[in-house]
Amino acid sequence: MIAGYIQRRMNKWLSRRIPPAQQIFLNRSNIFIFPSRFGFLYLSLCLALFVLGTNYQNNLILLLGFFLLALMLVSLFASYLNFSGLILQLGKLNNSYADTPILFPIWLDTQEQSKAGKIHFAWYGNKAESAAELDSLTNPVTLSITPYKRGVFSPPRLTLSSYYPLGLFRCWTHLAFNAQVVVYPTPIAKPWPLTTKHSETQGEHAALQSSQGLGQDDFDSLTEYQQGQPLYHVAWKQAAKGQGLLSKKFAAQVQQSGWLVLATTEEDLEENLSRLCFSCLELDAKGWVFGLQLPGKEIPPGKGQAHLQACLTALAMFRAV
Amino acid sequence: MLRLNPSSENRAHLLLTFVLFTLSISLYAPLQLWVLLLVTCAAVMRFSLYMNWQKHQLSVRTLNLMAVLCAIVLAYFGWELGLLLGMLNLLVMASSLKLMLLATRRDYFQLIGVQFFLLGAALVFNQNIAFSLFYAVLCLLLLMSLAFHINPSASWLILSKRVATLCLQALPIAILMLLVLPKLGPLWQMPTAKGAHTGLSDKVTPGDIAELARSADLAFRVTFEQDVPPANQRYWRALVMEEFDGRSWQVHPYRQRITDRFWRAGLPFTPQVSGAYYEYQVIAEPTQQRWLFALDTAVSQDQHLWQNHDYTLQSRIPLQSALAYRVTSYYDNQLPPALPQVDGRLNLQLPEGGNQRTQAWATELWRDNPTPQAYIRAIASHMRQQGFSYTLKPQPMPVDPIDTFLFEQQAGFCSHYASTVAYLLRLNGIPARLVTGYLGGEMRTDQYMSVYQYDAHAWVEWLSEDGWQRLDPTAWVAPMRIQYGLEQAVAHEQSFLADMPLSGLRGMAVFQALRGWLDDMDYLWSRWILGFDRKNQQDLLKALLGDLSPAKLALFGLGALATIAMLLALYHIKRWLLVKRDLPNWYYQKALALLAHSGIKRTKNQGPADFCAQVEKQVPPLSAQHFTALTRCYTNLCFRPLSPQQHKLQLRQMRDLLTKLRRSLRLDV
Repeated sequence: MIAGYIQRRMNKWLSRRIPPAQQIFLNRSNIFIFPSRFGFLYLSLCLALFVLGTNYQNNLILLLGFFLLALMLVSLFASYLNFSGLILQLGKLNNSYADTPILFPIWLDTQEQSKAGKIHFAWYGNKAESAAELDSLTNPVTLSITPYKRGVFSPPRLTLSSYYPLGLFRCWTHLAFNAQVVVYPTPIAKPWPLTTKHSETQGEHAALQSSQGLGQDDFDSLTEYQQGQPLYHVAWKQAAKGQGLLSKKFAAQVQQSGWLVLATTEEDLEENLSRLCFSCLELDAKGWVFGLQLPGKEIPPGKGQAHLQACLTALAMFRAV
Repeated sequence: MLRLNPSSENRAHLLLTFVLFTLSISLYAPLQLWVLLLVTCAAVMRFSLYMNWQKHQLSVRTLNLMAVLCAIVLAYFGWELGLLLGMLNLLVMASSLKLMLLATRRDYFQLIGVQFFLLGAALVFNQNIAFSLFYAVLCLLLLMSLAFHINPSASWLILSKRVATLCLQALPIAILMLLVLPKLGPLWQMPTAKGAHTGLSDKVTPGDIAELARSADLAFRVTFEQDVPPANQRYWRALVMEEFDGRSWQVHPYRQRITDRFWRAGLPFTPQVSGAYYEYQVIAEPTQQRWLFALDTAVSQDQHLWQNHDYTLQSRIPLQSALAYRVTSYYDNQLPPALPQVDGRLNLQLPEGGNQRTQAWATELWRDNPTPQAYIRAIASHMRQQGFSYTLKPQPMPVDPIDTFLFEQQAGFCSHYASTVAYLLRLNGIPARLVTGYLGGEMRTDQYMSVYQYDAHAWVEWLSEDGWQRLDPTAWVAPMRIQYGLEQAVAHEQSFLADMPLSGLRGMAVFQALRGWLDDMDYLWSRWILGFDRKNQQDLLKALLGDLSPAKLALFGLGALATIAMLLALYHIKRWLLVKRDLPNWYYQKALALLAHSGIKRTKNQGPADFCAQVEKQVPPLSAQHFTALTRCYTNLCFRPLSPQQHKLQLRQMRDLLTKLRRSLRLDV
């Protein structure tokens, strides 16, 4: 309970001290620095050398002890100056599905100063996930985190730490980026029946349903794979031959349209949303015109990337009333 | 369980291995052979892991078994080693075991810490310039190893530059701390090693000192404050021996008991002193013994010294490493017996039986010369007339040594003469004792005197009404020894340092010059680095501050802190000095910072004019006007050829505009 309280106070203090931003400049106001565990060992070593030198009245041992102490003092500054002045910027984020890792590209800018040493990246409170060496920097540094729920996801604070130059001090900061990702429900490959609205004919509905199943379309041609296309359309045979990722294109027999309707929110809401998500992707891949109707929300039939986005977002944000 | 190889191509581990290995090799004397073998094994293992010849580390179980075995062996041998050597062996042993199983970051850091401590411990054993430089290099390599650990992909060159920069920055601070921090006395008694004793021994059988005289090692060095005693007065007293068993002289057990009793009671002897004196500092080489060297009636204020009742000085701890101490010697002072009854009784004691001819001869001689002075003169003239000779190669005299020496061989080293004369004096009721120490000392460039092992000497002190009198019988037969030293005294038999390798080189001028130069270096090192003590520190402060009042000292301490802060600032000041030198840019950056403060930031791809246009749209007109003017000045200064006057004018304008901009922006908020 006390730990929880302290954590809450800490978070509050941090959000005042280091408010979320798009671009973060590391400076006095957001860097913490403290001796590392080895730093404390090193300090006690200096003390031991001082006692040894004093008791044996040996100036060389004393000099060694003082030298190591002075080195610690100097490395305090070196450590801070190396860490400060870095500029971090979060790259473009892609919306993602629940249970699928989201990638966070982070761009580091050293402002033409020579920076060195390893920077460890970790999500706040977790173990270090990846590290970048500033001497041989390749931008961006990509981190990933897996959201477990659909909805709006904002990443936790990011902890950057560095032990440069000798591991005596740990310089760190807990950064927050004001970025939000919409997390769509996880697609479940169980198609949702397509219905027609009352204005349309029963016969058409039946026809729609019959042609909805998987693999019933005829294979048409191969096109270059583009991000966002379902993976099961990838021509793996060709990929294995090293021809790159190609996507199978299926020719729909007829240009069709329909509605995806979620009538009830009582039972299996999450599963239903997941199935709807799958169906949206599926219909979009086939190039059909479809609308989405959720309790309290209706998206008129349409097609294309923007339409798909709107549907998926609606699914992600859906709250049962 | 087999572990993956964490050392493959890991330069941090390679350097650490190298340091542990060479450090242990340099400590071959205090370390046990099996510990050295263990270190070698560990180093070879780690190196083959580094080279990827070997892919897997030892399993933890194997290593634990080995650790138990090693601990048993160390416990078995450790009893005889004493605490200091035991600890040292333990540390090296534990380090090498750890090195065999270097898996986690924690292991690595612990091992690094232990290496630094071992470096310190190694400095207890070896302190000369060469070793100190060697250990400094090892220290740098350890730091390099740390740097590699933190920054594995950097190149050797870059990292060495970085570490060198850090060290150069740290060194002045370290030296300042050494000079300024008050020097404390020993906090508690430290264990010392039972090593092989060198130098004089506490038991003298005539002939022993001749052995010592074959060594050209340094015994101690002396720096005189003002006057230097003449060559024939350089009698460095070390040990007084009062027990004679017919063959050997040694410190009397009763005297030893008295000394111990005073020691325990904490009552050192304070001799009555007056008259002229020499002031000097002695830096004694490590001997593993307690006794020290001083001239005549010596008095010392040093905390770690003890004054004995036979006018000798001794150290409170055996000389593990070089020891510097300050002495005042009153050379005109008499040496009245400190404990008259004890001194008289101990120094009349005679061995039972033996040396019959000597006893008879002494009785006869005393009958003709019944005063001590006349008796001594008679012995002297006898020795001169009989043609006694001084030699570094005396014959062994196993039976009745005094008889053999006095009536058959008639040739011997200083201890033969001293022993015989002291015995002759005692035979006729004159208290006499043997004193060992060194006679002589080689001055170099009026600065310091070096006393070598071959200067070892023995002479006699006899008790007159005025106190103890020095009597050197060697002077009767070999006056050269007293005036010019051993080398001249035994020149006729070519025996001086004859069995030293390269002894023929000693005569060459180049070799002499080289030796002198090395000696000077070594002297400066011992005097100013090893011998820097509280007095030196106070002298330094006095030279800087004049009288030492508490207020001044406090100010000085603050000053030292300020100096350290300034040094630190100096190292990093370059960054903004660079900016400030380029004044137009500096003003412009200031203006940008002001705008950034009110929420307008310049992106990298925006030129000044571009940015100015953006600013005009976003800020109130007055500020915009100022900033436009400022930008114009800036572009003028940067890109237009200007005369110096125009340049100055533009700069002043920029400064004014900056102030105006600040004010107008504040008003807008």
